[in-house]
Amino acid sequence: MSEHTVEVTVNGVAYTATVDARTTLVDFLRAELGLTGTHVGCEHGVCGVCTVLVDGKATRSCLMLAVQADGLRITTVEGLAEAEGLHPIQEAFAEEHGLQCGFCTPGFLMATHELLEANPDPGDDEIRDVLGGQLCRCTGYQSILRSVHLAASKTRAQRAADAHA
Amino acid sequence: MTVEIPKSLAELPVGEPRWVGRRVRRTEDAALLTGRVEFIDDVQLPGMLHCAILRSPFAHARITSIDVSAALALDGVAAVVTGADARAWANPPRSAPEGWGALCIAAEKASFVGEPVAAVAATSRYVAEDALELIEVDYEPLDVVEDPFAAMQPDSELVHEDQGTNVMMQRVFTWGEVDAALAGAAHTFTERFRWNRLGANPTETYGCVCEWDPMSLDIVVRGAMQSPSSFALGRAATFGLASNKVRVVGHAHGGSFGGKGNARGTDIACMLSRKAGGRPVKWIEDRSEYMTAGASQAWDRHYEATLTTDAEGVVTALVVKLVDDIGASGDGFGAISAAKPLTAFTGPYTIPVARYDLTLVATNKVPASPYRGMGPPPHFFVLEQMMDIAARGLAIDPAEMRRRNFIPADRFPYTIPSGNEYDSGSYERVLDEALDLAGYEQLRKDQAAARAEGRLVGIGVASAIEPGVFDWNAYAIVGMPQTGVPEGATVGVDITGSITVRVGFSHEGQGQPTLVSQLVAEYFAVEMDAVRVVHLDTASAPPSFGPGGSRLGVAITGAVLGACERVRDKMATVVAAIMHCDAGDVELRDGRFRVAGRPEVDMTVAQVAGTMLARSDLLPEGMDPLPEATYVWTAPGRTPADEEGRAKSYLTAAQAVHVVVVEIDAETGVVEIVRYCLVDDCGTRLNPVVVEGQTDGSVAQGIGAALYEEYVYGDEAQPLTASFMDYLMPTINEVPAIEKREVVTPSPVSPLGAKGCGEGAMHTTPAAVMCAVNDALAPLGVMAREVPAAPNRVWNLLRSAGTQR
Repeated sequence: MSEHTVEVTVNGVAYTATVDARTTLVDFLRAELGLTGTHVGCEHGVCGVCTVLVDGKATRSCLMLAVQADGLRITTVEGLAEAEGLHPIQEAFAEEHGLQCGFCTPGFLMATHELLEANPDPGDDEIRDVLGGQLCRCTGYQSILRSVHLAASKTRAQRAADAHA
Repeated sequence: MTVEIPKSLAELPVGEPRWVGRRVRRTEDAALLTGRVEFIDDVQLPGMLHCAILRSPFAHARITSIDVSAALALDGVAAVVTGADARAWANPPRSAPEGWGALCIAAEKASFVGEPVAAVAATSRYVAEDALELIEVDYEPLDVVEDPFAAMQPDSELVHEDQGTNVMMQRVFTWGEVDAALAGAAHTFTERFRWNRLGANPTETYGCVCEWDPMSLDIVVRGAMQSPSSFALGRAATFGLASNKVRVVGHAHGGSFGGKGNARGTDIACMLSRKAGGRPVKWIEDRSEYMTAGASQAWDRHYEATLTTDAEGVVTALVVKLVDDIGASGDGFGAISAAKPLTAFTGPYTIPVARYDLTLVATNKVPASPYRGMGPPPHFFVLEQMMDIAARGLAIDPAEMRRRNFIPADRFPYTIPSGNEYDSGSYERVLDEALDLAGYEQLRKDQAAARAEGRLVGIGVASAIEPGVFDWNAYAIVGMPQTGVPEGATVGVDITGSITVRVGFSHEGQGQPTLVSQLVAEYFAVEMDAVRVVHLDTASAPPSFGPGGSRLGVAITGAVLGACERVRDKMATVVAAIMHCDAGDVELRDGRFRVAGRPEVDMTVAQVAGTMLARSDLLPEGMDPLPEATYVWTAPGRTPADEEGRAKSYLTAAQAVHVVVVEIDAETGVVEIVRYCLVDDCGTRLNPVVVEGQTDGSVAQGIGAALYEEYVYGDEAQPLTASFMDYLMPTINEVPAIEKREVVTPSPVSPLGAKGCGEGAMHTTPAAVMCAVNDALAPLGVMAREVPAAPNRVWNLLRSAGTQR
């Protein structure tokens, strides 16, 4: 089994680690770095529960190897909010009951984050298009749709405030 | 001492409720949203090993030899177990029906694809899976029992040779003068239906971390299970241990819907820990393991139903014949899903007599498990199709057909032929609201116009009951002995007045931790975030089952309010002693203790608690100074089942009417849901946000059941749906906007008048969607009798009707 050194930046922190070639990114994040907020739902790339941002792009961390992340920037759910308090997307999901068991939620948050970075005012169709790759078994998605709209309006308000600052 | 649980919000000791019945945000969300909740796979213990399980590739095969030496020699492997270890250390588990349990690892033969044949504990899951490839197993394939009807033939190969038959149970239950009703009917309708296997698929699979103490022989199981106490009792029975030697720590978990908690995997991890000298062993079920060998599959049903009416369309009898394919053993407890229809056999209707011809059959498929709704969803699919068939036959509008047969609001409590008693309801009002919400008259006009254009548009109107607050007595016919399902809570106030509630359930997603905070904050008039909720393990929790059978919201409300009442009574005694008055004159109102006619008496809950714990000099002699109480709630007035299975079982009966519009693509057979409207009545809504969330989620699961989800087996009972690529879960693109209204008819018998609502729309949605599909197909003279109505099936129906181009 070959071992490799990877250098990754996760949530702004630089890590250097030695990993087996076969170690998946999600196992690396969870077991090696202790970032257990990213969950594993299917390990075959369908459910989207393990979605993280790799260089800003929503990525299934169960289908990517840790060695492939060498030199890249990764954001996980632990990197969304400041130390105490919620990110506006998280706040929106709490307000709109966009989660029940919460297991799939980190994946939805990261996918939503990518969406709103690109377009802070998405329509229903665009939200459905992006979140069509995320499975949730609890909510029936209606409250998630509302959550993303609310997150979008919070994002727009934040940007407007930042522009004035 | 008896405790009076408040039966309505008005009976709470506050002026205007601030929390209960209000749309409050959930207290558990911040930790979930930031990834801080510890799910089972997040647990790391010192010295922990990782388990991987070798599974049979054959559905039915004798194991002639097994060699684990190479696996044991692999670097990092600490222990290997096989069927021989299971035979030495474990008993076959309890099952329903009794006597059909299978050892956690196959010892002589494998009985379904995916059945464990060996397992490894190693330093990582990666190494453990490497080791599995080094285990040599020789199999001698046997004839596979694939079809339940062939399985019933006397010459069939046997799944359980010691039973001498594949028929687990065969009984006919007759409730009332059915033969006379059949003979005297004006109209008789008979039809067959098929409901294929589907299941829960929570986004988190099952997982556990097990430790077997080699000195004390105690077992500790940390796990993602729905009912920690049931799991503890199960492990104790399996390993022949006293129940207090097993401690189960129920973790917050990622949904269940009845389909979670792999007992075999847990027992295997326990045995591996025993072999590894007590090191903790983690087993995380992967998705394919879950789908092929976990608590994933339910309701593999072949139905024949007969419904009779009088000349006016009033239903006079219902006969349901069910052959239920339970799979390779009864330890998945799928059989209780065949019993549960007794709780609501005749749905929301006044059908006076009924018969249930029930056959449970063993085959070489994964053992059936529970799933949300626990059996009535397919039953109501059948009943509602029969109502529509009768309506079509008699040229009665389907909505009118329901109205004519609804139990009238003035006839509650209402006992149905299969024995259960419905507590309350306003079925006709719910129907009226639903028709109004949907604009039913206009819908029918639009449909007529669409049909004139040759489009296949259908409208489904369906109604069903959601039995709430499950009781074991409902499953007496498949061997469950108990009456009542106790749920407890301990409410304690500390020396500074802070309140902590200790419960035995764990977070699963339905908002019960928030509900506990709502109730206690309301009762003692404090802020919700001032209440701390602690989830205890089975060694320290009061009796608890946890969520299941639409029960926990109601049951925990009873438990928490009962404990609050007891704390209040204790505190009233203290106030009375200090104030030299009678305890009966002390009243708690808005968080303060007062005495009528004595304005100087005004003590807060915190003051009384502080007095109890820090001013023993003021207390009555011999008084227990603990400002804390436990109350264990169990549903009142339940009765053991009689010889025909009849019992007062589930305490509450919620009801709903769904109106669904679909359009079928005549070229592809794809069913599109154009509109989804529903009105439900689940009594007092303790947190409307949570109720709506349960409804939305269960509609989505019901749509999956009606149109997409199916576990498919190929030749030799090989599973063909072992991933989410093959088993189609509804995504955000398949679930339409759901238009909702509510009617509130409080239960007269439950805490605060709330009814069970967690399983929700799952009872009605598959029926309603299929009613709509069949309404769309009706002009073509074909009917969808099989669920799910996937495009291939609908396309074949269209082709048989000659419309397929």
